[in-house]
Amino acid sequence: MFRQHLKIALRNLWKNKGYTLINVGGVAIGLASCMLLLLYVAHEWSYNRQFSNYDKTYVVYNNTKTPNEVLSWPWTPSVMAKEVGQQISGVSRASCSTNPAPLLIANGQRGFKKQAVFADQDFLKILDYKFIKGNPEKALAAVNGIILTESTAKSLFGDEDPINKTLKLENSQLLKVEAVIADIPETNTIRFDYLMPWAAYEKQYPWSKDAGWGSHYALTLVQLEDNRFFDQVSKEIKGIFKRHEKGTLAEAMIHPFSKWHLYSRFENGKSVGGKIDQVKIFVGIAFCILLIACVNFMNLSTARSQKRAKEVGVRKAIGSSRKSLISQFLVESVLFSFLGMLLAFVLMEISLPYFNGLLHIELVINYSNWEFWLVLFALTLFTGFVAGSYPAFYLSSFEPVKVLKSLSIGGNSSVSIRKVLVVFQFVFAVCLMICTIVVYQQLNYIKDKSIGYEKAGLIEIPLQGTLGKGLGGKENLDVLKDELIKSGAVNSVSFFSSSMNWDGHRTFDMNWPGKSKKELVYFNYRCAGYDFVKTIGSKMISGREFSARYKDSTNVIVNESAVRVMGLKDPIGTVISMGQDQVKIIGVIKDFVVGSPYQQAAPMVIYDWNVNFNFALVRLNPAMNVSSSVQRIDEVMKRLNPDFPMERSFVDEDFKLKFQNEQLLGTLANWFGGFAIFISCLGLLGLTLYMAEQRKKEISIRKVLGASAIDVLSLLNKDFMKLVGIANLIGFPLAYVIMTKWLSAYEFRVGISILPFAMALGLSLIIAILTLSVQSAKVLKSNPVDGLKYE
Amino acid sequence: MIELKNIEKYYANKGVKSYILRHVTTSIKQGEFISIMGPSGAGKSTLLNILGMLEEPTYGAYEFMGEDVVSLNERKRIELYRNHIGFVFQAYHLIDEMTVAENIEAPLLYKKVSGPERKSRVADVLDRFNMVAKKDLFPNQLSGGQQQLVGIARALVAQPSIILADEPTGNLQSPQALQIMELFKKLNEEENITIIQVTHSEVNAAYGSRILHLLDGVIKEDLAVPQGV
Repeated sequence: MFRQHLKIALRNLWKNKGYTLINVGGVAIGLASCMLLLLYVAHEWSYNRQFSNYDKTYVVYNNTKTPNEVLSWPWTPSVMAKEVGQQISGVSRASCSTNPAPLLIANGQRGFKKQAVFADQDFLKILDYKFIKGNPEKALAAVNGIILTESTAKSLFGDEDPINKTLKLENSQLLKVEAVIADIPETNTIRFDYLMPWAAYEKQYPWSKDAGWGSHYALTLVQLEDNRFFDQVSKEIKGIFKRHEKGTLAEAMIHPFSKWHLYSRFENGKSVGGKIDQVKIFVGIAFCILLIACVNFMNLSTARSQKRAKEVGVRKAIGSSRKSLISQFLVESVLFSFLGMLLAFVLMEISLPYFNGLLHIELVINYSNWEFWLVLFALTLFTGFVAGSYPAFYLSSFEPVKVLKSLSIGGNSSVSIRKVLVVFQFVFAVCLMICTIVVYQQLNYIKDKSIGYEKAGLIEIPLQGTLGKGLGGKENLDVLKDELIKSGAVNSVSFFSSSMNWDGHRTFDMNWPGKSKKELVYFNYRCAGYDFVKTIGSKMISGREFSARYKDSTNVIVNESAVRVMGLKDPIGTVISMGQDQVKIIGVIKDFVVGSPYQQAAPMVIYDWNVNFNFALVRLNPAMNVSSSVQRIDEVMKRLNPDFPMERSFVDEDFKLKFQNEQLLGTLANWFGGFAIFISCLGLLGLTLYMAEQRKKEISIRKVLGASAIDVLSLLNKDFMKLVGIANLIGFPLAYVIMTKWLSAYEFRVGISILPFAMALGLSLIIAILTLSVQSAKVLKSNPVDGLKYE
Repeated sequence: MIELKNIEKYYANKGVKSYILRHVTTSIKQGEFISIMGPSGAGKSTLLNILGMLEEPTYGAYEFMGEDVVSLNERKRIELYRNHIGFVFQAYHLIDEMTVAENIEAPLLYKKVSGPERKSRVADVLDRFNMVAKKDLFPNQLSGGQQQLVGIARALVAQPSIILADEPTGNLQSPQALQIMELFKKLNEEENITIIQVTHSEVNAAYGSRILHLLDGVIKEDLAVPQGV
């Protein structure tokens, strides 16, 4: 029986090639889109899951309560790991490590800035990296050990065996290579190029030896003996800060390591999602596209019911049960979806490189992975069954007597369901269109929004070696500034304590006249050199900036929002204090964005302490072209700091990284929205073609009676235009609700205007008209006699 | 073999009942060759469909080989139907996507006859109808008469005890029509298959053994055809 069904299904496919093409094409695009999105979701999902005990591993989070909110971040005191590992029962191990940061590592003259992590031995026991060379048991035991990743070893030593060779860290410490591990996969939150013992960190940064419970700068990973201890450990670890430091506002919490990547947003000390929200959106889009492809199939199959009705009648009259007919139609639709799957493979392989380029990731179809095949077959079968279900039940319900006697069926009920299906498709397409437009509007709004300084033409150069902290001191920086300006490539130079795009260095410990005891505000603090305002292209609201003519070591500049927070009427001359230091405000600078561009700038205090300068900010000379300016800057840097590789970055390029998520969402919504519309239009095309065929007799009679081409076309298409209109009406409020919710996450956001809605309406109508006009030629050319002959 | 008692069929349309069949009572014995005649709209086809279990009577009792058809559930009815009834249509109603052999084989598939047995029975029937050469053609490659032959072959292959034919020659020219009627007669006489046909033609009716005249849903006459005419 099955073979029979298959044979007949294949013949049907072959006989109606156009129909097959539309259907298989739709299913293929749907499946390919769905699989691509799911590949991406699997990629996001696989983060931090390659370690053997990942499910028992947790990250310690620090929740600090302020009167307004709870701030959560994974930074903890370095002394915490030891205490947690030894004192809390249920914990098998706890490790302490640093945030990956670029440090210079050199083999003789061959030096690179690479991501470095300092960690204790338990770190390697919790995260079992794959050792290629060396002994994992002994690694990180000595003060001067270092573990390289494979590619770091390759770039430092070429094909030589690196084990026991010596390397120099930041031109100071000597380290011996203990082991080589496989490169850290992209799907890892902690990514580094080399790993050093915690003792080396203490040697490099002596202050950290005495850092107590008040300095939160290390990452603490915890591995439980078993997950059933989770509640117990959570309870015990909560008060760990309070037990060691009186009056602290911090509480500790453990967060699953495997969720670290996707659930990284916290509110009130509780995980409230993060990237998972976007992943959910993608899963939703994936299934909707697949559903649209299914709807296409249902639509076309039922539209063809006229043709199939006779077959159903005959089969029933010669003894077929309804069940057998249902299975026949299901076999047919599953066959369609399998053909679609084959085509989907081709589409996926073609589009994957492009997709990877868009997302900056390396997705590959892993053909040897059984899970991939399982999902693929499950999806294909699902598509086949969903797509085939309605036609199967609908077609098999025909009463043989009726279809055989009159050779026409009153397809009224089916027409209304088809209409509902078409409306459904277009509702989704319209929604996606509106959302895409709003996402782009929001992106453009944020991109064009003034961030308080001129980010274009601004370069930042990290200060290291002889220019670095405490090594050369002020004189070297002055030389650098002079040389750079003399080169003609730059207009002005200043120094800053952090990157312009980095959001950190914050403190609560700020006091000002009139501050109430309970008030707790998070202040950014920075250190800036002379000509700062001129270099970044900002403005002083009042007062002056730091200058060589004054002695400014006890003076500070604050930004507008700091003035607002402190409630100062006349800020200039006010004395405030940070920790023990009393400082005087000498100027107010316009707010500028260092953190999220979607939020109001945080209050900021700027000092002029030059020992804290980490970056040189360089305003390029607009009269000179960028590449020659950059070349001259590089020459100066090389001359002044020969041991360190040249590093510089354009502030505006780094700034763009802050939009990555939104950009990604916009791009994907754009593409997959396009696919959704395309599939919907395929469906519409197929539907109208069949409608025209079904109403051939009516059209012929009308033509004979003298109807013009326009009359006939409007007769055929009016209904569909109405449907698209209705779909728009349903889609509008839906899209409005979705976008309002999406935008509510941003403090700075565009208002939802009428524009996206108008564009969606216009576009969907135009596309529908274009689609519908394809069949007009066919209808207009047809001879009315053909339509009437058989009656 | 068939007992009809007081069969009624009507459609209620806005409270008005329009009767198709009224008080139809008759009995049909194994081996009869019955022609149902009457003007258009007399209810001939409806009666045939009720006999063939494609339609249900609104009222009345229908016994087929001792079983009460009206009270049977669908599965049982299909079972009964598959095993005993073969249908022949005016418009042939072959499945366009299937070859001649496949069309003939289809009822056997539904009857769950085993593969080798199917093959031999199809081959047998093809042989009997002289259509072996045409077995791989599709219906639209055949003439009307040939298509109807396939239709009959398909009805016969399941070895039914009764063949119901709804104007089997209505679409055919008279030489072909004669051929079909001869075939029916032969089947009736040689294999003792009960045949019930709906027809407009007196000539065709004369092949049978009994004529039911229907008028406005009522049996007006029930005549035996004098044999040997």
